[in-house]
Amino acid sequence: MDLKLRKIYVPMSETAFYILFSLQQPQHGYGIGQQVREMTDNEVSISPGTMYGTLSKMEKDGLIELVREEEKRKIYQSTDLGKEILQIELNRIKRLYKNSIGEEYYG
Amino acid sequence: MAKTKTIMKIFTIADYEEEEKWLASQHGKGWRLTKVIIPFFYVFEASEPEKVIYQLEFKESKVTDDYLKMYEDYGWEYFGTYLGWNYFRKPESEIETESDREIFSDAESKIAMIEQVFQSRIWPLLIVFVAVILPQLSDLDKDVFKTSDIVFLIIYLVLFGLYIFAIIYCGLKLFRMKKNLEK
Repeated sequence: MDLKLRKIYVPMSETAFYILFSLQQPQHGYGIGQQVREMTDNEVSISPGTMYGTLSKMEKDGLIELVREEEKRKIYQSTDLGKEILQIELNRIKRLYKNSIGEEYYG
Repeated sequence: MAKTKTIMKIFTIADYEEEEKWLASQHGKGWRLTKVIIPFFYVFEASEPEKVIYQLEFKESKVTDDYLKMYEDYGWEYFGTYLGWNYFRKPESEIETESDREIFSDAESKIAMIEQVFQSRIWPLLIVFVAVILPQLSDLDKDVFKTSDIVFLIIYLVLFGLYIFAIIYCGLKLFRMKKNLEK
């Protein structure tokens, strides 16, 4: 994987993480926003400007791709590269969590 | 026909937050924005006083259908685009959580917008200043007192002043806003 991309996306902002996590399934921007609110009990919400900007950037970087357009809404899904980056980030968070609760981390 | 009023007010590219607040306060007093006439005029129509939030987004690329649809999904009414700024508004009655009040929910995306303003407004201004306006300074001292040259001199000085103001005022203000967000 491109080292530059890895540097940009790992570690990831909370916004980017939830967007990329949600896009394991096809979804449009507003739908992602709703999903994230539900998942986080309204503690994380992503406004449209932030959502649109992040989706555009991730598409440009090849982490997600346009699947189709429905009633003017662009529906995206993560690419193999996106899934790979998400996995790296998930491992990092797992390590963080394990250490934070005093469990040993074996990789 | 509803009563209208037109106000002339100058907001620079670094004053968008002030502009948002001013438009909201007009709406709160019963003056709904109906038109913006570039560069400094705002047309309002008498309406019911209502608490409405205004948000401005600088975006150089063209406004697309999917972009507007997303804002619409989030409850933002698109008002129009003027000089690269997209105007959105939303009644406060539709606000559920604090983050519904803003079109950007994190510092990163706010910073990205300021960087876009720098890139497409401040830097080009600076380049024109250094490459075109500044070099003429050295030509000025010759024959300045011919009448035609005095007119030229005045135009030049006004332009010179405007450029210095725009670059220093807008540049510094945006820079400070960016620094604050980075904290």
